[in-house]
Amino acid sequence: MNPLALNEPGRTILAMGNDAIVRGGLEAALGYFSTYPGTPASEIGEGYRSLKHEFPHIHAEFSVNEHVAAHGAQGASWAGIRSMVTMKHVGMNVAAEVLHFAGYTGVGAGFVVVIGSDPGATSSTSEQDDRWYSLHTHLPILEPSSIQEAKDHTSRAFELSEIYNLPVIVNAPSKLCHNIGSLRLGNLPNVFPVKGRFERNPERYINLFAGSVANHRRAMEAVKRLQGETPSLGLNRVLPGSGRTGFISSGINYLYLLEALSLLGIADAPILKIAMSYPLNPDEIASFTRHLDRVYVVEDLEGFIEFQAKRLLYDAGIRIPIIGKDVFPAHGELDVDLIAGRLSEELRTPLPKRMTRAIKLSNELTGDLPPRQGAFCTGCPHRATVYSIVKASDRNTVFAGDIGCYTLSCLPPFRAFDWVTCMNCGVGIAQGMLQKIEGENVIAYVGDSTFFHSGIPGLINAVQQNASLVLIILDNKWVAMTGHQPSPTTDIALDGTRMHPVDIKGLLKSIGVSYVRTIKPFNIKASMAAIKEAIRVGNGVRVIIAEEECALQYGRRVARTPVEYEVYYQIDEGRCQKCNECYVELGCPAIRKEETTGGWRYYIEEATCLRCGACHDLCLNSAILRTEILRTAGMESL
Amino acid sequence: MIAYDILICGIGGQGAISLGTVLKLAAIHEGLDVVGAERRGGAQREGIVTSNVRYRKPESGETPDERRMAASGLIPTGAADMMISMEPLEALRHARYLNERSVVIINNFPLTPVSVRMGEREYPQLETVHSRLREFTPNVHLFPIDELSRGHFNSLRQVNTIALGIASALGGLPVSDESILAVVREQFSDFETNRRAFELGKETARK
Repeated sequence: MNPLALNEPGRTILAMGNDAIVRGGLEAALGYFSTYPGTPASEIGEGYRSLKHEFPHIHAEFSVNEHVAAHGAQGASWAGIRSMVTMKHVGMNVAAEVLHFAGYTGVGAGFVVVIGSDPGATSSTSEQDDRWYSLHTHLPILEPSSIQEAKDHTSRAFELSEIYNLPVIVNAPSKLCHNIGSLRLGNLPNVFPVKGRFERNPERYINLFAGSVANHRRAMEAVKRLQGETPSLGLNRVLPGSGRTGFISSGINYLYLLEALSLLGIADAPILKIAMSYPLNPDEIASFTRHLDRVYVVEDLEGFIEFQAKRLLYDAGIRIPIIGKDVFPAHGELDVDLIAGRLSEELRTPLPKRMTRAIKLSNELTGDLPPRQGAFCTGCPHRATVYSIVKASDRNTVFAGDIGCYTLSCLPPFRAFDWVTCMNCGVGIAQGMLQKIEGENVIAYVGDSTFFHSGIPGLINAVQQNASLVLIILDNKWVAMTGHQPSPTTDIALDGTRMHPVDIKGLLKSIGVSYVRTIKPFNIKASMAAIKEAIRVGNGVRVIIAEEECALQYGRRVARTPVEYEVYYQIDEGRCQKCNECYVELGCPAIRKEETTGGWRYYIEEATCLRCGACHDLCLNSAILRTEILRTAGMESL
Repeated sequence: MIAYDILICGIGGQGAISLGTVLKLAAIHEGLDVVGAERRGGAQREGIVTSNVRYRKPESGETPDERRMAASGLIPTGAADMMISMEPLEALRHARYLNERSVVIINNFPLTPVSVRMGEREYPQLETVHSRLREFTPNVHLFPIDELSRGHFNSLRQVNTIALGIASALGGLPVSDESILAVVREQFSDFETNRRAFELGKETARK
């Protein structure tokens, strides 16, 4: 039984921060869930998908993008059903248009927006601090500090949303989303609403002209009311302490701060723990600060609480130093070490010896270590496609990058990306640039899910403006990078169920792309020839669809009916010229190097090789041999 | 108060995350609090993966003190009681978490990073890995875990269970073998093979 579905209040289970958010929704009788997958929040969608049998009344979907997902949740909320939409922090940019209206119009039933933020950009192209949006969307923000609070705050957010008639944001950074630990379960509701009812409310929902101004005012008044009542909600709390230096902290930084203060031997300092970072109550901040000489604000990224606190304290006439981003960086990820280190300097309190010793020793050590950057998985069709792209193009090619697993082609050995910013930056930027550059070929990348997310308008524009580029759609049938959620082109689910994939070719045809070719990536020579030909044609938008299912998903489906591998690839030592084409240029992790008595050799590690055959196809010396063993039923018994 | 922190490191696809999950489920099995963030390699392989496992329990009769029991998702520098590294280079890379009393368990099979493949960097010798880590702690142990798994089970699937056996034999783990094995039974198919792998790990560590 899925532990998230247990109806055993008080029982402790092991849960990821994202699971805790899922459970928080269940305990609040959630009825509608939508998301576009994005690390670190993807597992929330996975969670609801895995619970579809236990909670069949919950509509849970992977939407085509965050804008659509947010609209969907808004619609269900207006129908009187508690709704949740989740996304990664940059998804907020896509959903922002919807969410700027959602505060104006208010909600039907509770509407919760969960944002997985990524300080340090460990799995993102940006580390933007989404909390600032709330200054103009007027949406309250909860920042859980632990796995337990991730659940409790999520449930609470539904209530607050209904009381104040505003969508409520739960902001969880990657180190909370991917924190795994003890979670104490609460009560599951006895009754889950199955269907709701849309109550017409033109005053609120027809957000037009003077009505929009009235809604704007209503939203700000709702925030004002919440602001006034914040202290009575029991969310923020003061840990009284000694000394005249105090600390304000929110989210996971609160726990980092507690640990850092213990390390510095000042564990009993006064602390104001902020759970709701927007809006802040002026009296709460003022009464905490009034008797202190200075206050440090320890929070993620760009100092959202510090900014508000300074403003509120100015109005309250309190003029003590409030120190935040001057000491704790506004970029990158904070942790115990960084907070303890900065506070040690600020407060002239030494770090424990154990820590200084480790810092000293590791500083002498880690500079020399070979870095490790991600690489395509063994057997990944993208490795073969990117190899073919690199080999089929010349130095004069501009590579328009985009977001997906294929983003790894910006790393060695390929280095075949000239930019990557947001979703669909590939074709989008390229088609504008092409109006103003000459003599260079442009190859743009896009994955299937990224293309459907927001790539179609850019491509239509490219066609209408007659931009001359080759677009490679790397269609691996899944949103693979975020953990294999279904994409609009998924044709067979893991359990073998047939899906209804969008017909990319039909779509391309109808938007006016006349040059469309399909390649099978592992067939390297044919792929290279197709890419070369598309470049040679040299006019208009040419699309190549590199079609091959993600190797991991294919492997998972096949694993359900286990078969012994019947094909082997081996490197013939006699033929191998050590030319490095497979080991370095293709860079497949299954191809390895080992010392032998006579020197060294390359070999293929059988346990790792997924039999894609790309190395066999590209080897210039025919040194990679393919062996096929025919198995008959009779052989099994031998 | 019981406080015991384990850092598990490796690269994507090696099972560092599942190893951490077993150690955490064992805590739930015993009624210990546990927490710890994971660094996942996205979907890609060859990225660095870590799992923090942080056990906390007040002594019986002790009132839990929020400030002293606090455990964030990340182990601070110099605070790991144990490190289990599924790959030698990654043990060096994460050495900053070690102190004089840390126990270090390393699978000695190197996985070559792209920078080494391309001839831009050199992979350190295993002797170097050992001697550099001994500057941090005397308790550094390298084991041929890949080789043991392949030799005894003809597959790499048992690597993590062997590592668990080694960890149990070497360290002051606050979770018992019974709890670990109960979790293994619950989580993995073929319990008998895994039980043998666990025992093999224990014997290997005792030698």
